[in-house]
Amino acid sequence: MNSWNFISIVTSLLIFLPILLILTNFNIQSENWLHIKEHLLYRYVSSTLYLVIGVGIISTIIGVGCAWFATCYDFRGRKYIEWILILPMTIPTYIAAYSYYDVLEILNPFFNWSRKNIGVKETMMIENILIYIIVIVLFSFVLYPYIYLSVRASLLIQGSRLIEAAKMLGISTDKIFRKVILPIIKPAIIAGTSLVIMETLNDYAAVEYFGISTLTIGVFRSWFGMHDIASALKLSTYLIAFVFLILLIEKSYRKKEKYYNIRGSRNSLTRIRLGKKKTIKVLIFCTTPFLFGFLIPVGRLFTWLIHSNFHLMDVNLLTITLNTIVISLISCSVIVFLAYFINFSKNYFNNDALKKIGQLAILGYSMPGAIIAIGVLKLNSSLNGIVPLMIIGSILGLIFAYAVRFLAVAWQPIESSMEKQCASINQASRTLKINAMTSLFHINLPMLKKPLLLTCLIVFIDIAKELPLTLILRPFNFDTLATLTYDLINQAQFFQSSLPSLLIIFISVPAILIINGQLNSET
Amino acid sequence: MQLRILKYLLIFKCIISVLIGDINVYTHRHYDADKKLFKKFTKRTGIKVNVIKGSADQLIQRLQSEGENSPADVLLTVDAGRLVRAKNLGLLQPISSKKLLQNIPEKMRDSENHWFGLTVRARVIIYAKDRVNENELSTYEDLAEPKWNGRIVIRSSNNIYNQSLMASLIEANGTKNALDWAKSVRSNMARKPRGNDRDQARAVASGVADLAVVNTYYIGLLANSSDKADREVAEKLNVYFPNQNGRGTHINVSGGGVTSGSKNKLEAIRFLEFLTESENQKIFSESNFEYPLDYKNASAEIFSKWGSFKADEMNLSILGLRNADAVKMFDLAGWE
Repeated sequence: MNSWNFISIVTSLLIFLPILLILTNFNIQSENWLHIKEHLLYRYVSSTLYLVIGVGIISTIIGVGCAWFATCYDFRGRKYIEWILILPMTIPTYIAAYSYYDVLEILNPFFNWSRKNIGVKETMMIENILIYIIVIVLFSFVLYPYIYLSVRASLLIQGSRLIEAAKMLGISTDKIFRKVILPIIKPAIIAGTSLVIMETLNDYAAVEYFGISTLTIGVFRSWFGMHDIASALKLSTYLIAFVFLILLIEKSYRKKEKYYNIRGSRNSLTRIRLGKKKTIKVLIFCTTPFLFGFLIPVGRLFTWLIHSNFHLMDVNLLTITLNTIVISLISCSVIVFLAYFINFSKNYFNNDALKKIGQLAILGYSMPGAIIAIGVLKLNSSLNGIVPLMIIGSILGLIFAYAVRFLAVAWQPIESSMEKQCASINQASRTLKINAMTSLFHINLPMLKKPLLLTCLIVFIDIAKELPLTLILRPFNFDTLATLTYDLINQAQFFQSSLPSLLIIFISVPAILIINGQLNSET
Repeated sequence: MQLRILKYLLIFKCIISVLIGDINVYTHRHYDADKKLFKKFTKRTGIKVNVIKGSADQLIQRLQSEGENSPADVLLTVDAGRLVRAKNLGLLQPISSKKLLQNIPEKMRDSENHWFGLTVRARVIIYAKDRVNENELSTYEDLAEPKWNGRIVIRSSNNIYNQSLMASLIEANGTKNALDWAKSVRSNMARKPRGNDRDQARAVASGVADLAVVNTYYIGLLANSSDKADREVAEKLNVYFPNQNGRGTHINVSGGGVTSGSKNKLEAIRFLEFLTESENQKIFSESNFEYPLDYKNASAEIFSKWGSFKADEMNLSILGLRNADAVKMFDLAGWE
């Protein structure tokens, strides 16, 4: 084994270690576990399934529909639609949930009436269904951009020639979408949807607030309520099973993708022109997610901000904002570099062991952040006896924990674009005995500049929003905008919490603009 | 480069903190009152207070994995149960302080001096003035009666305050009765549990239900909110202290202890003592509406409005011991 593979394998294993420490609890049979299995597991799994299926379907419809319209059609306002559709991504699910916290209260008069006239039990059922619908729609409206982005990238790269060819053959637009486009963007849809589902599985605050008992809730209930970490970790292995399944599906589709992949330079896309009536329909379809996923929450935050009289105690907001930006920037660079380096070693040297071990390192994305935190804490305590090294409570430790959680976000796009664009070149370079370092920096890097930058920005946004890991692993007196928001919401200071929430959104907006610019620019 | 600078900064910070004898606090308390008090403490003693806020369970887990090397000196939580757990895990050390023994009533501290209560919270019934007559109310147990069918809202059993209340009911009435109680209350609910205590108050004010079970300070916060809608909610509600003719209203404490690995033990003890001084107790109750340790003589205006009450004399350590059972009873009762 050469040093490249060795370094990559060791790094992957290191990132996998905290996850391994969690998985070792799978065989536990405690009294609490029997209780959970008998009375709760079914409820946890079923409500998680409802949520995942609901969010999966709705966010896919929104994400794919918007990407299709914004990429392949030409209509008035398209230029703006293109990038405002990415914006909801900047809103963490917990902030979205709090900004809609009283949406059900609007219906109180109806519920009061129905309780008296239809019955308490029946009303509860209606309310319960409504809660599911609200949470599903809410999650879909802030998470669909993951799908929108990946589908749009795929359409821009591969769609144009096919659409033109199909049009020349006189096939109707509907048919083009179903028969030509859908098959080629399927892998992109699956990749985006799997990210959305993982984010859904991860949420704690929003489902807690709306009273939905998902697996993640179960994990915390066993940990906090029964003080049984072993059972909590065992429950979280169910979450990992979910994600493993998703990753497998994604993999199998990506294999098929090679079949459809079309090489060659990208033509600039000739977009289909839309008439007035259709323009209105398309505009309504594309602005709805933006309205509910961004404009309304941000609007509410702004009104709260005015209510708060811009009063934010004596918190040093500038430092906290800088903290957030600096830690997110450093971490996203580290994470993207790691993903790039490991994938390159894997691709260039075609190492089988690394292929398998790499898959393990990205499992962290499936788990609630707080569970990863336990893994990192456990790692720390097992190391504690050997070396007096403190992983936790340092910036370095925090970056490591982010890597455990977010490597997957960088991994998948980098892996797939490397397979698509660099695989054969790397093979050739190896035959020609071109030095790996040269290949890494002078051949692969220029080719992958764009996907690398894009994933870097997405990871940046993810870390700027990150809450549970930061909360528990941070150094003393270290706050980020997310922890400050959480702190204020915890004191029910909704008005005051609006300012840090808005700042989380605003520091991510430049990233969104760059992402959009990059997508549109020619390769 | 930036990483290196950050690292140096951190090392530098650590060295400084050892020299002056800062204290490092892990706290579950998220209140402005604390911020004020920490500042005041630093001003008076010159000892800086470094803080990590998080949920107590996670902080306990962190303490555990940091072991001997933990930088923490003090752990603060919002309930006695977690302090008991921290003690049982060997994370707190016994301390001797006359002042603490003097300022804190016996049942609000650990019998072996590992942890100490700092503020008192009462879990009470609140009801809509226009729809409920005070004479209809009596005890927590009474909430299981059919007359309350479809008239109660209460938050999810994921919450520690409900778990502690349930633990006290198990202790008082036995497991079976407690389970029956939870089942009946669950079927009396007007809606599935969701939201926090504040949301329950809002629900009662807007007619969703006629009564709710909440911690008193939430009502204090609503009544003194800068938001007019919040104040209107508080105006429509009255506070009722249940079980006054029996064992008394369920209370819990928010409290703290000195960690086993503390390197600044003296400063940490001084810090806890400071928080129990009567003028500082006032800050807790005036800005966060929690009852002071001496809750019978609480002076803030809102307390006199609610009236005095008799508290359950149960030893608070029991809440910790019964917590897991309480959660299981909720599970069996189908109380989400």
